[in-house]
Amino acid sequence: MLPTDLLIHRQNGEEIIPKRVNVDNKNLAIALELINCFQESVGKTLRELDNKLSDLEGETIDYKFKRGLAYILKSSFATFEIVSPLEPEMLRNRVFALAAQSLPCRKSTEETINRIADELSLELEKEVLPLQVRNGLYADLAENKILTIFDTPTPQDLLHRYNLSQVQGIFYKASQLILNAHRNVPGEYKLLFRYLKLFQLMAYIEGDADHGFTITMDGPTSLFNPSTRYGLAIAKMIPALLHVTKWSLAATLQVKDFYSDTWKTGRFTLNSECGLVSHYSPGKPYDSMLEESFAQRWEALKTEWVLEREVDLIPIPGSVMIPDFRLVHPDGRSFLLEIVGYWRPEYLQKKFSQVRRAESSNLILAISERLNLEKVGININDVPARIIWFKEKLLPKSVLAIID
Amino acid sequence: MVRTPTLTFHRGTLILHPPPRSKVWMDFATWDDRVEKFRIPAIQYRPLVESLQGDSVNFVDDARAFYPIELTSTLQMEPYIHQTEALNAWKLAGRKGVVVLPTGAGKTYLAQMAIQSTPRTTLIVVPTLDLMHQWYAHLVAAFPDTEVGLLGGGSRDRTPILVATYDSAAIHAETLGNLYAFVIFDECHHLPTDFNRVIAEYSIAPYRLGLSATPERTDGKHSELNFLIGGEVYRKRPSDLAGKALADHEIIQIKVKLSQRDRHRYDELLKIRNDFLKQAKISLGSIQGWQYFVQMSARSPQGRKAMLAHREAKEIAMGNNGKLRVLADILTKHYPQRVLIFTADNATVYRISNEFLIPAITHQTPVKERHQILTKFREGEYKTVVASHVLNEGVDVPAASIAVILSGTGSVREYTQRLGRVLRKGKDKEKLAILYEVIAEDTSEEGTSVRRRGDEPRRHKGHEGKERLEVVNGGKRGSLRVAEQMEINYSTDKPEI
Repeated sequence: MLPTDLLIHRQNGEEIIPKRVNVDNKNLAIALELINCFQESVGKTLRELDNKLSDLEGETIDYKFKRGLAYILKSSFATFEIVSPLEPEMLRNRVFALAAQSLPCRKSTEETINRIADELSLELEKEVLPLQVRNGLYADLAENKILTIFDTPTPQDLLHRYNLSQVQGIFYKASQLILNAHRNVPGEYKLLFRYLKLFQLMAYIEGDADHGFTITMDGPTSLFNPSTRYGLAIAKMIPALLHVTKWSLAATLQVKDFYSDTWKTGRFTLNSECGLVSHYSPGKPYDSMLEESFAQRWEALKTEWVLEREVDLIPIPGSVMIPDFRLVHPDGRSFLLEIVGYWRPEYLQKKFSQVRRAESSNLILAISERLNLEKVGININDVPARIIWFKEKLLPKSVLAIID
Repeated sequence: MVRTPTLTFHRGTLILHPPPRSKVWMDFATWDDRVEKFRIPAIQYRPLVESLQGDSVNFVDDARAFYPIELTSTLQMEPYIHQTEALNAWKLAGRKGVVVLPTGAGKTYLAQMAIQSTPRTTLIVVPTLDLMHQWYAHLVAAFPDTEVGLLGGGSRDRTPILVATYDSAAIHAETLGNLYAFVIFDECHHLPTDFNRVIAEYSIAPYRLGLSATPERTDGKHSELNFLIGGEVYRKRPSDLAGKALADHEIIQIKVKLSQRDRHRYDELLKIRNDFLKQAKISLGSIQGWQYFVQMSARSPQGRKAMLAHREAKEIAMGNNGKLRVLADILTKHYPQRVLIFTADNATVYRISNEFLIPAITHQTPVKERHQILTKFREGEYKTVVASHVLNEGVDVPAASIAVILSGTGSVREYTQRLGRVLRKGKDKEKLAILYEVIAEDTSEEGTSVRRRGDEPRRHKGHEGKERLEVVNGGKRGSLRVAEQMEINYSTDKPEI
């Protein structure tokens, strides 16, 4: 992601349009030029790298673009380390202590450096040059650190990352995000909600599996005032959203107006056709082998019931339940199927409390006989769902038996 | 089955569920569809609890995770009159509000007195790592039997007494909010920013104290302190205390002429910039003008060139060689007296450090090392220290009697606080502190210097300071001792039930 001063966008009425560079030969050449600049700077200081970068900027007006690319390269692909034969802090201690004994002026500076070099040469039994003392004195400053490792990205990757970062930057000022997840199979909601939880966002969910869902995202205090406090979390969530299929979103933005010094509301929209490329790894298609093999067996079955994966969201106050499967019959009947395999006791307790609070009338739980539910304090008669017990594997037949 | 209404804390907010029968809480609460419960801003905790108690509502308070602590202080001093007065004014205001005292007037000890008289888990928020360690050292010395911890600069403690930087406290505001009954905001003008204000907003702390030498902000946001901490309860100016706690000081301004070459280049650069400004009809007098200039510099090659010229000209004006020659002269003149050197930018700090071999402190200096440097400076092993903005606020450097400012940034606050550093009265009662201000002649710097000194351009400040007392919002209600007992009662004027 980029710092605010490197974000570029233009305003069209209420709408904000972030900078988007074309992945064309001209821009690829610029990206390559910067990547090469980093590659050539391996083993050199950050200051030297910065000087080269500012030379590349020159007096051109697209300096912000180049600076943004350089920022991404620095923060995500480069490692900087302290490299000095002499420990900088030790050097400073000795140099300043000695220097404090004489009047500070340029002449005594030279004498002090030479004396320390001589002393160290004697102590370390190797020649220490005054220049090494000079250079070592602040070798640990950020600008004097050495670029040691550079994980070279392709120019395409870099431009994609840049475009994504510009869009993410818009959300820094977001106070709320409304996501319309259109009906699609599979929905791939689990990854999205995993990230929502990770970044501690709150969600309000409306809709159903047949028509899609409207998910409103913000944080606890958003209830009282629109707050950009959660903007960064929303921005971090965007790459995860790119793995979800068929959606559109509208974000409410709080934008400071420079001239009147007041806050104005802005708007930003995006959809799954935006062409942005995520660098987050996609979630696994199935949570477990159990689910995967069940889905495969269902495919081989001759039945009118269609198995859909991750398409339904059951809102629970303060949370959400995403059943593994949904079974739909052409005549309109539908069931939700959740497979409970092998899990830790806390997970089971949470899962069953979710089921109880979900108040869903068409829920089927397939539970492994290996689980000792009584041991973790779950009374199965208390669970408002149809239960299927299974041994090694869950057979589609036993599911059909209960719904048909 | 009727459950008792329970108040819980959730990431900077309160949830009251199930709703009580009484209606007093409704003014504070908002229905939250996401969790299907009523939610209340954390900062409303005290008025909410007072209302519920006032209406004899039976409820369980699960929100509060703060608790009373046993405090035995081993560091007792005879307080100055202004410290006692400030403490009493704050207590009378219901133990919330802002106290304005000049740098060096003993704000830390005042805070210690406030903590002792409000013995609860306490969070102290400070703007810099230096101040964090200074408060830490003081509180460990004052309360050796209580656990004191740090949040920021690599530490992540959660102790009954915790010192945190504004940055870290804001980042962790959601989880800190219910752990502390008392929050002290040091240099509290840092609080009313969009980023920092959550420290106060997400906190349920019923007791709050703001400390500052200069609460006024150029953006006018200081008025929000009323809501975030409480009204101003006490104020003293440096002139009120001069000759008492603070040393007298003399300001010497030295103008440095640019060298012929620098001068020539500077004029050339300004011409490039001004030609562009004239052509684009931009006036740099206002913030808008400046914003416009920045925008234009990203839109046209001429604008970009003008901006680069502006920057280089500024650099010549700020860090020119002449100033370093003057600095060398000042250092020679006062050797071996202790001298603090301030500059506006890090590059100049390191240039001075490298050229004169003077220890440097910037935001890049590791915490341990800056501690060492200050200790050695205090003990006299180092005679000079050069620093950028980091030493601006309230850091104790008692031994310095000479300060040199090489180009500042023209904010009123910075000036007072840099001054405060030299003003601290050391052992020497007759000490006359000297503040050198080295500026370049005929450059943009001059205007900055006039602004910095505010409307009191005194050349020499003597003993004219008179004892003046201002108690604002002191109020007549309530008693001084309410929070002194271990029972937690929030109200200073508890309604008769």
